[in-house]
Amino acid sequence: MMDLTERQWVRHAVTHPVEGFEDMRWKRSGSMRIALLIVLLLFFAQIAHSRLYGFQFGMPAEKTFSIVPYLVRSVVIFAAWVAGNWAVCTLLDGEGTARNICIYSAYALIPYIAQLLINVLLSHILIQDEKVFMDAVELIGTGWSAILIFSAVRSVHQYSPGKTCFAIVLTAAAMLVMLFLLVLFLSLIQQIWVFLSTIYTEITYRLRV
Amino acid sequence: MKKNKRRLAAALCAAVIFAGSVIPSAANAGEPSESYNYDRWNEAVPSQAGYAAERSVSGSDLGVGSFDTPSDIFCAWDGLFYIADTKNDRIVAVDEEFTSAVKVYSSFTKPDGSKTTLDKPKGVYVSQYTGYMYIADSENDRVLIATREGGYISEITRPDDPVYNAPTFKPLRVLADKAGNVYTVLGNITTGAAMFSPDGKFIGFYGANRVQPTKEIIGTFFRSLFLTEEKKARRTRNVPTGITSFDIDGDFIFTCTSSSSQKTDTVKKLNAAGKNIFANLPLVIGDYTPIYDSYQNTVFSPAITDIDISEDGCINCLDYTTGRIFQYDEDCNLLFIAGAKANQLGGFTSAAALESHANKLYVVDSVKDTVTVFRETDFGAAVHKATALYNAGYYEEALEPWYEVLRRDSGYKRANIGVASALLRKGDYKGSMKYAKRAGSPDIYNKAFEGYRREFIKKHFAAIAAVIMISTAALILRGRRRRRRSAAGNNKEKEEQSDDGSD
Repeated sequence: MMDLTERQWVRHAVTHPVEGFEDMRWKRSGSMRIALLIVLLLFFAQIAHSRLYGFQFGMPAEKTFSIVPYLVRSVVIFAAWVAGNWAVCTLLDGEGTARNICIYSAYALIPYIAQLLINVLLSHILIQDEKVFMDAVELIGTGWSAILIFSAVRSVHQYSPGKTCFAIVLTAAAMLVMLFLLVLFLSLIQQIWVFLSTIYTEITYRLRV
Repeated sequence: MKKNKRRLAAALCAAVIFAGSVIPSAANAGEPSESYNYDRWNEAVPSQAGYAAERSVSGSDLGVGSFDTPSDIFCAWDGLFYIADTKNDRIVAVDEEFTSAVKVYSSFTKPDGSKTTLDKPKGVYVSQYTGYMYIADSENDRVLIATREGGYISEITRPDDPVYNAPTFKPLRVLADKAGNVYTVLGNITTGAAMFSPDGKFIGFYGANRVQPTKEIIGTFFRSLFLTEEKKARRTRNVPTGITSFDIDGDFIFTCTSSSSQKTDTVKKLNAAGKNIFANLPLVIGDYTPIYDSYQNTVFSPAITDIDISEDGCINCLDYTTGRIFQYDEDCNLLFIAGAKANQLGGFTSAAALESHANKLYVVDSVKDTVTVFRETDFGAAVHKATALYNAGYYEEALEPWYEVLRRDSGYKRANIGVASALLRKGDYKGSMKYAKRAGSPDIYNKAFEGYRREFIKKHFAAIAAVIMISTAALILRGRRRRRRSAAGNNKEKEEQSDDGSD
C-alpha cells in the first residue's frame, strides 16, 4: 500500500487535508528538495502577483522594483516559521524534526501558490465586474492552505487539535520575537558599522595630514 | 556683458541645432522655479510650463498710486478688472489690457446726494445679470451694492434673524448668482456662506464644510458618551473650518477652504441645493506630498486661499503656502502648476487672490502690492485646446491636439488619459489600453480591455471553441482509460488473490 513516488506524495498530501500528512509521516516520506523548490516558487509567485497582474485591477504600487520585500515575504517568513515552530514545539513535546517541519509546511503552501498564479492568469482574462471569481479563487486557495498548515503541524508533532492551535499561536509569537531581535541586531550592527567607519575616516584624515 | 550673453545664447542655439534636438521651451527660462507636474505614481516630475509670468503690475504702473494690501480681483464680463485695494479703502477698475486704471471708487453717491465711503473692502464682484457691483465692505459691516457709475443702490447688513447668531458681520468675499441672490463669505463664520435674496433678505447659510473625521474627533465622540452635560458644555466644540473664498460658474458655486489642518472639503463644487458634487471624488488639491521644512520642523500643507473658474471651465486654485497656482480641468485632473514663493517675477510673498481672463491668469499679492500677469505658453495653449474639445464631448476631435501635447511631453498624464478615452470611443481598444496604461488609469483600461476581449473572442471563436472541446474530450478519454486500467489492475489483484485462495 501507498508505494508512491515523492512527486505523488506531494499530490497525496495536498489533496487529502485530513489524512495526507499522517500517511506521509507513516511512510517517512517527503523530499527536502521539493520543499525548497516550493518556497522558491512562492517567491516567484509573489513577484508575479504584484508585477504581472492585469492592469485593470490596479497598477503596481511601486515605481521601482526592489527584490527585498518579496524575499522577506516569502523566504524569510518561511524560515522564521520553521525555526519558530521547531523551537516552540520542541518545548511542547512535539515529535517533528526541523527537516520534517520544513517539508510539511512547504507542501501545505501549494494551494496558496496555486491561487496566486491562477489569479495572475485570470487577471488577464477577466474585467473589474468579474472580480468576484478571483476573490473566490483567492479565498479557496488561502483557506485550503490554512487547513493544510493546521493538518501539517498536527501530524508532524502528533498533537491533538487543541494543542495544534496553541502551538500555532505560540509560533506566531515566536516569529514576532525573532523579528524584533533581528531588527535590534541590525540596528546595533549598523551603529557599530558607523562607529568603525568613523574611526576609519578619522584615521585616513590624520594619515593624510 | 549683454553682448557676451547674446553670444553665449547664439553658441548654445547652434550647439543644440547641431545636436539635432529640439530647442527646449524658453518660457520658463526666467521663472523662479522649475515647472513640474505629477506622474502616474503621483510623484513630482519636471514638465513643461503651462503658464509663464509675463509682468508684474503695481498701482503706480496703472497710474493710481501704489496699492496697499489688495485682497481681491475680479474680471467682469466685459473685460474690466476690479481690484479691492483694501487698506486704501477703494476699488480700482482696470482696463482689459491691464495697462491703466479706468476708474477709482472710494465713495458712492446716495440718491439724496450724500456720500458713503468704503472701509477696508475685501471683496468685489460685478454681476452680469443685474449689472451691479457688489462690495464686501468689511469694516463697515456691510455688503454694498452699487452701480458701476458710482451710484449707491442698497446695502446688506447683519441680518436680524434667529438663525444668524454670530455677533459680527464681516464680509470677506461676495458674489451674486443669475437670480440676483447675494452670497457672502463672512469672517468667523463656519456654517458656510450667508445667502441673501435680491431684496437683501437673509435666506440662510449655504455650503458649510463637513467636520473632518480625525482620530481626535472620533475619540471625543466616544468620550462624550460618558460625560455629564456640564462637562460637555465646557469642552471645545468641533466645528469645520469656514470657507475662505468662492467663485461662481453659471449654475455652480465653487468654494475653497484654506486651513492647515483640514484635508476634506478644501475645494467643493456646489449645486443650487448646496450639495457638493466633488464629495465622493478622491480629491487632492495642491501638492501631493506636503513640503517639510526641517529648519522649522513643520509640514506645510496646502492652504487654498482663492479659487477661480476660467471661461473654459478650468478650476484654478491658489495655494498660499507654496505660492503656487494649481490648474485643474472640469473633472479635477491636474493640468498645470505655476508660481512659487519667491521675490522675482512669477513668485509671491503672500498670494491673496487670483482671476482668469481669456488665456491669462492674474494673481494678487497682498504684501508685494502687485498683480502678476501670467500668460499661457504654447504648451498651455495646446493642452487647453484639447481639454476644451474633450470637455465638450468631442473626444475624437480632441485626439489630434492630445497627440500634439504628447509630442511635447510624452509623460503628460492628462494627455494620455485624453488619448485613451478618445481611442476607446473610436473603438481602437488596443491603442486605448496602451495609453490607459501610460496614464495610470485602470478604469479606462478596464473598459478598453472589455471591448478588446469581446472582439478577440468574436474573431477567434472557432479556435477557442475547438481548443475547449478537444481538451475536454482529452480529459474525458484520459479519465476513462485510467479507470479501465485501475479496474484491470484490481481484477488482476483479485485473480491473484483467488489464485492464492485456490492453492
